[in-house]
Amino acid sequence: MIVRDRFRGLFQKYLLALFMAVAIPLVINGAIEAWFGYRDQRARLEQLLGVQATSAAAEIHDFIYGITNQLGWLIQLSWTDEPDERRRTDALRAFRQAPAIVSLTLLDNKGLERLYVSRLGLNRIESRTDRSTDPALVGARASQTWFGDVSYHRGSEPHLTVAIVGNRPSVGAVIAEVNLKLIWDVISAIKVGKTGHAFLLDRPGRLIAHPDMSLVLRGAEEATSKPFRSIRDAIGPGGGLATSLDVQGHWVAASAAPVSGPDWTVVVEQPLAEAYAPIYEALWRTASLIVVGTMFAGLLAYALADRMTKPIRLLEVGTERIGAGFFDHRISIETGDELQSLANSFNRMAAELAVAQEQRERIAKLKRFLAPQVADLVDRTGEDSLLDGRRTEVVVVFCDLRGFTAFSAGVEPEAVMSVLSEYYEALGKGITQFAATLVSFSGDGLMVLVNAPVAVEEPALRAVDLAVAMQKSVQDLIAGWRSQGYHVGFGVGLASGSATVGRIGYEDRLDYTAIGSVVNLAARLCASAADREILMDAVVATGVRGKRPLEDLGGRQIKGFDEAVPVFRVYLKPTG
Amino acid sequence: MKCADSASALYNERARRRDFLLLMAGAATWTTSSYAQKSAKPVIGYLCPESPELFASRLKAFHDGLAETGFVEGRNVAIDYQWANGQYARLPALAADLAARNLDLIVAPGGAPVALAAKAAGASKTIVFEMGGDPVQLGVVDSLARPGGNITGVSSLNVDVSPKRLELMHELLPTATKLAVVTNPTSPTAQSQLQKLRPAAGTLGLDLQILNASTEHELESIFSSMAQAPAGGLVFTSDPYFAFRSRRLAELAAKYRVPAITQSRDFPKAGGLMSYGGDFAQSHRRAGIYAGRILKGEKPSDLPVQLVTKVELVINLKAAKLLGHEFSPSLVSGADEVIE
Repeated sequence: MIVRDRFRGLFQKYLLALFMAVAIPLVINGAIEAWFGYRDQRARLEQLLGVQATSAAAEIHDFIYGITNQLGWLIQLSWTDEPDERRRTDALRAFRQAPAIVSLTLLDNKGLERLYVSRLGLNRIESRTDRSTDPALVGARASQTWFGDVSYHRGSEPHLTVAIVGNRPSVGAVIAEVNLKLIWDVISAIKVGKTGHAFLLDRPGRLIAHPDMSLVLRGAEEATSKPFRSIRDAIGPGGGLATSLDVQGHWVAASAAPVSGPDWTVVVEQPLAEAYAPIYEALWRTASLIVVGTMFAGLLAYALADRMTKPIRLLEVGTERIGAGFFDHRISIETGDELQSLANSFNRMAAELAVAQEQRERIAKLKRFLAPQVADLVDRTGEDSLLDGRRTEVVVVFCDLRGFTAFSAGVEPEAVMSVLSEYYEALGKGITQFAATLVSFSGDGLMVLVNAPVAVEEPALRAVDLAVAMQKSVQDLIAGWRSQGYHVGFGVGLASGSATVGRIGYEDRLDYTAIGSVVNLAARLCASAADREILMDAVVATGVRGKRPLEDLGGRQIKGFDEAVPVFRVYLKPTG
Repeated sequence: MKCADSASALYNERARRRDFLLLMAGAATWTTSSYAQKSAKPVIGYLCPESPELFASRLKAFHDGLAETGFVEGRNVAIDYQWANGQYARLPALAADLAARNLDLIVAPGGAPVALAAKAAGASKTIVFEMGGDPVQLGVVDSLARPGGNITGVSSLNVDVSPKRLELMHELLPTATKLAVVTNPTSPTAQSQLQKLRPAAGTLGLDLQILNASTEHELESIFSSMAQAPAGGLVFTSDPYFAFRSRRLAELAAKYRVPAITQSRDFPKAGGLMSYGGDFAQSHRRAGIYAGRILKGEKPSDLPVQLVTKVELVINLKAAKLLGHEFSPSLVSGADEVIE
C-alpha cells in the first residue's frame, strides 16, 4: 500500500524526469557512438579488403606471369627449316619450371607446328601441321599475349590456353595448355583475417580457383559457380565493399580486384561476423554500459525521487493531522532546504494553533457563566487572570420559584421542563442585559453575581434593576401559568458585601463562584421573600437609596445570623 | 599368411575387448556424454592389396592427409586394416568382411582392383578410393565432377600415361623397332591400356610384343626371355601389382641386363632404369584428406574425383651406364629426379 502510494503523483514524475535526464543522453550517446563505430569499421574493412583483393590479384598475376615468362624463353631464337633438338630440351625444362603447363606447342614463323610436348600424351616433333588460323595464334599476333577462355577438362579440371608470339615474326609462337588447378597453391595461401579467403572467377563468372579444390572441380556447373558469381555481381565493376551470402549461406563481406591479362576477377571474402567482430564487441560494450547506466539511473532516480517526495509526503501527512486538530503533531524534516523551513513554519503554526485552541476552549468555558460582554473582553484580551481568586465587594442575587416543588410533583415532566425552560429564558435575558455573572442554577433556583469578575459602576443599582427586571418578566410568565392552572410564585433576595470570588472545580468542570457570608445572606433573604417580593440587605439598600423606591421592612431574624438583619424591599408597582 | 591374418584378427578382437572395457569403465565413472563421445570415435576400414611393409610409404601419405583434416589414428579415429598381402584374388572376400563390419568409411587405396572390390562388396558403405586408372571408364563413378552415389576418390593418372612410357623407352632406344609391353591380365585396366598403347606404337613406328605376368615366377621368365632377345626394352603398364614389386623388378632388370620402365619411382630408386607416373604420395595424401572430410560430415557425392597434377619422370644414370645406354640431354633436363 505504501509502495503503491509512492508510485503516484510527484514521486512518479520525479522518478520519470530524473531517469530520463540520465538515460536519454546515455542512450543517444551510445547510439551515436555505435553508428560512427560502425561507419569507421566499415570504411576500415573496405580499405582492408580492397588492399587484400589487390594483393591477391597481384599474386594471381604473378602466377600467370611466371608461366608466360617461362614460355617467353622458348621464343627467343629464329626458326630454320632444320629440326632443332634444343627446342625440345627447353620445352621439357619449361615443364619442370612451370608444373602447371600440361602441354606446349611451338609454331614457327609460318604458323607450322614444329614441336608438341605433353605430360600425358605422345609428343609430336616436326609435324609441320598448319596452325596459322588457330585462334590462339591469331589472337597472340594481335596482342602479343593471348589468353583463351577457361575450359574444364572432362568437365572437371579448369584449363587455360595461353599463346605468346615473340618480339619478331621469325621466332614464331608458343601455345601452352595450363592446368589452373595449380593456382590452388596461390589462392589457398591467401588468408583474409582469420577465416576469410579468396577465390577466382573467369570472365563469365565460373569458379577457377578456391581453397576448397572440390568446388573448383565442379566450377563448370552453374550450381557451383552461381553463388560466387552473385558475390562478384554484388560488388559490381566499380569495386568497393559488398555484403553477400556465401555458399554455406553465411553473410560475408567481400571485395574484388581484376586480374589483368586473362580478365579474371579475384574476390576476397571474410565472414561478416568476423569482419565486424570489433564493432560487435564495441556494440556489446556500449549496450552493456547503457544497461548498467540506465539501471544506475533508475536507482539514482528512485533514490532522488524518494528523497524529494518523502519530505513533501511528511508535510502532507503533517498538515492533514494538524488540520484534523492534532496540534501537538510536529513535522520532522532535516533536509536543510526550503522544505525544512516550510516544515518549521508548519510546526510553528501548529504550536500557535494549539495555544489559540487552548484559549478558545478556556473562553468557551468562561462563556458559560460570564456575561457575553465580559466573555468577549476576556476573549479579546486573551487574559483570564481576572478570574483568579480574590476578595472583592460583590452583590449576590438569589432567586427561585415559590411552590415549585409541589407543582413539579403534580404535573407531567414535560410540563415541568417547559415551565423551567420559559423561566430560565426570561431570567437569562435579564442577566445578559445587565451583564451579570451567572454563578449557578439548580432546579428553580439561580445565583447571580454583580461586580465580579469585572467591576461595574453602581453594582447595587444594577443588581436591583436586574432583580426588578427578573421579577417583572417572571411575573408575566406566572400570570400565563396561572391561566393553565399552575400555581407558583417568584421571589428574589440581594445582599452586598465582601466575598471571595474565583474559579472552583476540576479540569473542565470549572465554575466561577463567590464564597462568603454575603452569599448566605442573599440566599436567606431570597428564601424569606414572598412571591413578587425583592428583599435586600442594608448595604444594597444604601446603594440605591433615593434612586429606587424602597420599603424598610425592619430587622428580621435570619437563620445563621445572630442579630436581626435590617431588610429592605423594592417597591413594585402592582400589575394587572 | 593365415597366421598373420589370425594374428591381426586376434589383435582386432583384443582391441575391441579393450575398447569395450574402457567403455564400461567410462560409463561407470564418467557421464553419459563422455560415453557418447567415446563411442562416437569413427572407424575407417582400410582395404590394402599388399602387406604393411610394402605399403608403408603409401600409408604414411594417407595418415598425413588424415592429419591435415585433424584426424590422428588412435586419438580420434580408429582404422581397421585388411591386408591382402599381394593376393589380389582375396580382395573381394576381404572387402566383404569389411563391409559387414560397423564402419564409417572404407578406404580402398592402391589401384582399381581394390576400388572395384570395395564397391562390389559395400554398396551401402561410403568408399574413398585411390587408383591409377580412369574411374569413369571403370564404372566406379559417374563422372569426375559428380561421382554419384557414395564413392569418390583420387586417380593418379598412371593408366593414362602408359603410352608416354613407350615413348620414353623409344627415345632411349631409338633404333629398336620392337618393344615389349608387360601387362597384368588380371588387372581391370589391362585392356584399356593396351588399346592406348597400340596406336601409340603405330605413331612411333614400333612393333609391340605383349607379355603377360601376374605372378613373380612369370615376371622372372619375362626378364629371362628378354635377355635372349637383346634388342628391345620392357615397358610395364600401370598396375599395382607391378608397382609394389619395384624392388624385385629392379633386381631382375639388373640381373638380366634388360632396360625397363615402370610407373613407380621406387623402381629407379632400387636400381631400375626409369619410371614415369603419378606421384603416389600426393594421391594417397589426397585420399586421406577426402577420408577426413567425409568423416567430418561431407557427402562423398559433393566431392569430385581428384586427379593428381604431378606426373613425374625419374631416371637412374647409373643403371643406364650399366646397361650401356645413354639418356638424351632433353630427357635429363626434363626429368623430375635424376639418380646418379
